[in-house]
Amino acid sequence: MGAYLQPDTLDEALGILAREPVTIAAGCTDLFAATESQSLNGTVLDVTRIEGLRRIAKDATGWRIGAASTWSDVIAADLPPAFDMLKQAAREVGSVQIQNAGTVAGNICNASPAADGVPPLLSLDAHVEIGAKGGPREVPLAEFLTAPRATVLMPGEMVTAIRIPDVSDKGESRFSKLGARKYLVISIVMVAARLHVQDGFVRDIALSVGACGPVATRLAALEEALRGTPLAGLPDRLQPDLIASALTPITDMRASDEYRREAAVHLLRRVLDDLTLMRSPV
Amino acid sequence: MPDTLQTPAGHVRLGSNSGQPMTRRDGIAKVTGTATYAADNRPDRLAHAVFASAGIARGRVVSLNVEAAKSHPEVIEVITPDNRPALHLDPDGKSHPFSWRIEALQDNTVRYAGQPIALVVAETLEAATEGARLLAPEYDTDPARIGFENGEAYDPPAVGIGGNPSFSKGDFDTGFSNSEHRIGASVDTPAQYHNAMEPHAIVAEWSGDHLTIDTPNQAIHLARGAFAGYFGIPPENVTLRSPFIGGGFGSKAILVGPQILAIMAARMVDRPVKLVLRRDQMFGPVQHRGATRQKLRIGTDGNGLIKALEHEATASTSSFDDFIEGAGNASLNMYASPAIVARHSAVRVDTGTPGPMRAPGEASGSAALEIAIDKAAEAVGMDPLEFRLRNYAETDPASGKPFSAKSLRECYELAAQKFGWSDRPLAPGQMRDENGMLVGWGMGSALFPAPMFAAQARATLRRDGTALVETSGADMGQGAWTALAQIAADGVGLPVDRIEFMSGTTDQPDAGVAGGSGHTASAGGALFEAGSNAVQKLADLATADPESPLFGAGNTGVEAREGRLFRADDESRSESYADILERAGLERIDAMGSGGRDPANTEARAMFSHGAVFAEVKIDPDLFQIRVSRLIGAFAAGRIINPHLAKSQLTGGMIWGIGFALHEEGIHDLRSGRPLNADLAGYHVPVNADAPHVEALLVDEDDPYVNALGIKGVGEIGITGSVGAIANAVWHATGKRISSYPIHIDALLS
Repeated sequence: MGAYLQPDTLDEALGILAREPVTIAAGCTDLFAATESQSLNGTVLDVTRIEGLRRIAKDATGWRIGAASTWSDVIAADLPPAFDMLKQAAREVGSVQIQNAGTVAGNICNASPAADGVPPLLSLDAHVEIGAKGGPREVPLAEFLTAPRATVLMPGEMVTAIRIPDVSDKGESRFSKLGARKYLVISIVMVAARLHVQDGFVRDIALSVGACGPVATRLAALEEALRGTPLAGLPDRLQPDLIASALTPITDMRASDEYRREAAVHLLRRVLDDLTLMRSPV
Repeated sequence: MPDTLQTPAGHVRLGSNSGQPMTRRDGIAKVTGTATYAADNRPDRLAHAVFASAGIARGRVVSLNVEAAKSHPEVIEVITPDNRPALHLDPDGKSHPFSWRIEALQDNTVRYAGQPIALVVAETLEAATEGARLLAPEYDTDPARIGFENGEAYDPPAVGIGGNPSFSKGDFDTGFSNSEHRIGASVDTPAQYHNAMEPHAIVAEWSGDHLTIDTPNQAIHLARGAFAGYFGIPPENVTLRSPFIGGGFGSKAILVGPQILAIMAARMVDRPVKLVLRRDQMFGPVQHRGATRQKLRIGTDGNGLIKALEHEATASTSSFDDFIEGAGNASLNMYASPAIVARHSAVRVDTGTPGPMRAPGEASGSAALEIAIDKAAEAVGMDPLEFRLRNYAETDPASGKPFSAKSLRECYELAAQKFGWSDRPLAPGQMRDENGMLVGWGMGSALFPAPMFAAQARATLRRDGTALVETSGADMGQGAWTALAQIAADGVGLPVDRIEFMSGTTDQPDAGVAGGSGHTASAGGALFEAGSNAVQKLADLATADPESPLFGAGNTGVEAREGRLFRADDESRSESYADILERAGLERIDAMGSGGRDPANTEARAMFSHGAVFAEVKIDPDLFQIRVSRLIGAFAAGRIINPHLAKSQLTGGMIWGIGFALHEEGIHDLRSGRPLNADLAGYHVPVNADAPHVEALLVDEDDPYVNALGIKGVGEIGITGSVGAIANAVWHATGKRISSYPIHIDALLS
C-alpha cells in the first residue's frame, strides 16, 4: 500500500489530486468490499478530515451536502419536507452501520444502477459540485452519471458537494424501494417523487425511477404531462406508456424486466397516492 | 408421561432436570466471547493458510505463478499438485458411507468453481491471501454443465446416505386411472448453500505423529478416524476439539478437502496452521443441498380418500460423487394410500458435491408433497386440513407397521385452533387485510424420522457428592451442552449444578453423530445409562453393607435422587452417595453406558416425529411482495428434554422454511458455472423483519418404543411442512400454484 493522505483543507486535497493518481476514500463501505487485493494499491486520499466537507447547510442559492456527509448525517439533518424522500432512502442504504459510515457523495461516485440515493437526488434536481486544482465545475447529477459504475469525473477531480437549488426544495416527497426481503437488500425497483402543489394544482413535480436501467432516470415526459394539472385524481393520470418509454430494465436474478416495468408504475402510483392524500383537505 | 423409567437399573428418576426449560448453560460464555470456536485458537508459531479457488467449473489448471506467490513477503510455502505430499488414503476413494470424495490437490483437474487448486501458507492471513491471488491460475476450460437440462442423467444406486432409490407398493396405475379426481404437480427446488454463521475453520498442529485439530465437527470420533486415515496414523493419535460449533446443519458432519489441506500444510511447514473459509468459499467445497425437480401424481375417490400417490424426483449431484436428495421418499410415511410409488433419478452437473443439509430429502420432498396434497384437496373441494385428516395414516403407509407413537392429530388440532384455521374460506383470493393486502392461509404436515446412532458415555460418581459425566457431544447451537447435561444429571440422580459435564472433544467416549435429529436420543441415552449404571454399582455397595441404612434393600428397592439413595419402601431410610463411597474407602465409582434402542422395537415399529404447520401470508396485490405474517406449528416428538431449547430448534427450522420458500437460492452462471451470489448480500436468508410471528407449540407424547427415554428429535422437522404451508398460503391468497422455489415475486405476475 502506498501513502495514506488525510489533508485538512480542500486546497491541499486538490493539490494532491493534481499531483498524482489517487484512490479517494470516504466511508469505504464500497471501497473495502470492492478491493480484492491484500491492500489498496497506490496512494489513498482520505477526504473525511477536510474542513467543512462534512456539513449539510443552506446558503443563498440552495442546499449543500458536503462530500463527507454520511447517510446518518442526512437522517439527522433539519431539512424541509422536499428532502423526506432522501431521508427515507438514507434509512434503506445497507444497514445502520453502513449508513453511519457511507457517504452520499460516495453513493453517487460508485454509480451503481441500484444506488438508493440517486432517485431522490434526481428528484431534487441535484447538481454535483466538482473540485479541481484548475477550479470547480458543477454538473447536473443526471449528466454526472453516464453508465453503470461510470461518471464524468476526470483524473484530478473530486466531488466536493451535492447541491440542491433553492427552487427545488419545495413541496413534499416520498421514496419507495422494493426488495426481496425486508432489510439489507438490493433494490429491485425504487422510485422517488416530489410534488409541489399550489392552489390545488401541480405547480411542480419530479419523478425518478432507479434500478430500471443503466442509470436512474427522471420521467421528464410524464412530469411535463402532469405539471399544471389539478391535484385531485393525480395518481390516476399516471400514463404507464410514458413511464415504460423512459425505462430500460434488464432481467437479472432479482426480477424480470417485465416485472420491473410494472412494479415501477405501481410504486409511482402509490407514492403519488400518499402525497395527494397528504395535501387533500380533510 | 412417566417420570420414573424402567431401565435395567430400574431405580432412577427422570424429570427433576429433564423436562425443565433451563436456559443455555453456555449462554454467558457465548455472549461474553469466552466460548472459543475453532478459529479463536492461536497456538504459538501459528501460520495462516488460504486456498486459491478455481475460477472455472470444469477443465484443468495449466499454470500457476508459484514463483510470484512464493516471493511475496511472509509467504512460507505454496502447495500445489506438483509438490503436495502423498496422502495415505485416496481423496477420490470412499472409505465409509460418511466419506465424500474431496479435493486435496490430487491433480490439476477442476471439477467445480471454487474448488481448492493450491494452498498458500504465510506468516499472516493477509500475506497468504495475497499469495493466493498472485498465483493467477490459467486454465484449459471445458464447457460447464449447469442445470438439469445440461447435466448427465443417470440412475442413482442410492439416495441420501444408503437410502432406497425406489419404492413401490400396490398398483399405482390402476389406482390412479380409477380415481375420480386426479392431480399432478411439478415442483423445482434450487441448490441451497450451507452458510452457518461460523464458516468451516481448522487449526492443525503436529507433534511427531500426533495431530491436534480444532475444527467444528458434528461427529468427533468418526472424524478422528477419517483424519487419521488420510495421514496414516492410528486414530488415537488424533485429538480433535470441537467444544462450540457455530451452526453445522450437516455440513460439519462430513470431512471436507480444505481441512485435509490445512493438516497437510501444518506437517509440511512444521508449524500450527490455521485455515478459515471465506464466505464465498462456502459455495463449493463444503457441500450443499442439491437442486431437485419433482413430479407428483395423486388420485382420490369421490370422498377424498387417496387411492394412488406417486412421487418422482430428479436431483442434481456433482460430476464425481453422489449425494441424491431423497425427496421422493417424503411421500412414503405421511399419508395413507393403497398404492404408493417413489422414484429417483439424478443429474451430474459441474458443482461441488451436495451433502446433507438440515432435513436432507425430507425438506425438499415435503415442499413438493404438501403442494400436491393441497391440490388434491382442492380437486375434491375439501378443506386442506379435513383432507389431511381424511387420509391420516394410522399405520406407516410404506411398511404397514404401527407407529411407535404418533400424535399428529393432536398437532393438527392444537395448531389449527391457535391459528384460527376454522375461519378459512375454502376458495382462494377471498381475504384482504386492512391495508388491502391479499391474505392467504395454507398448511403443511411435518414429518421426520427418529434414528439413533451408536453412542457411549461415562459417568463417575465422586466422593465430594458431585459427578463427572462425559461424552463427545456436539453443541452446534442446538443446546447439547444443556440438554445432554440435564439427562446426565437425571442419570446420576443429581441436580445439574452438581455434575461436571465434559463434552466436545475426542477425550470423551464416542457420542456418535450429531445429525439426523438423533443426538439427544443417542448421546442422551448413553449418558443416562452410564449414570444409572454407576448408581447401580453404588446401590450394590450400599445394600450389601450391613452398616448402611439401605442394607438388604436389594437393587430394585432403591431410588436415586438429589445425591442420595432411598429405600423405595421406606423413605426414611436413605444414605448419601458421599457416605457410601467414604465407608467403602472409594474416591469414585464409574460406569459406561451406551443407550440405544431395543432391536425388536426397531423391527416392529415405524418411528417418526410429527407436526403440523399453518402459515399466513400477505401479498401486495400489485407488486406481489410476499410476507409471511404468521407461522404457527405444533410438533410431537416424544419426551421433550428442554422445552425452551426444543421450541428454539423448531422455530429455527420454521424460519429456515421461510428461507426455503421465499429466499434461498444458489445461482450458477450457465456459461462459466460460477456461483453468481456467493455472499450473504446476494444469497438471501430471512432477516428478523421477515419472520415477525413464528410460534412452535409442543404436544406431549409418550413414546414407549423409540428408546428407553422416549426421546425423538426436533432439529430438522421444523422445515418440513413449513415450506409447503407457505406455498399453499400463497395459492390461497392469489389462486396461483407454485411450481418452483424460492417463490419469486415475478412468478406471481401474469
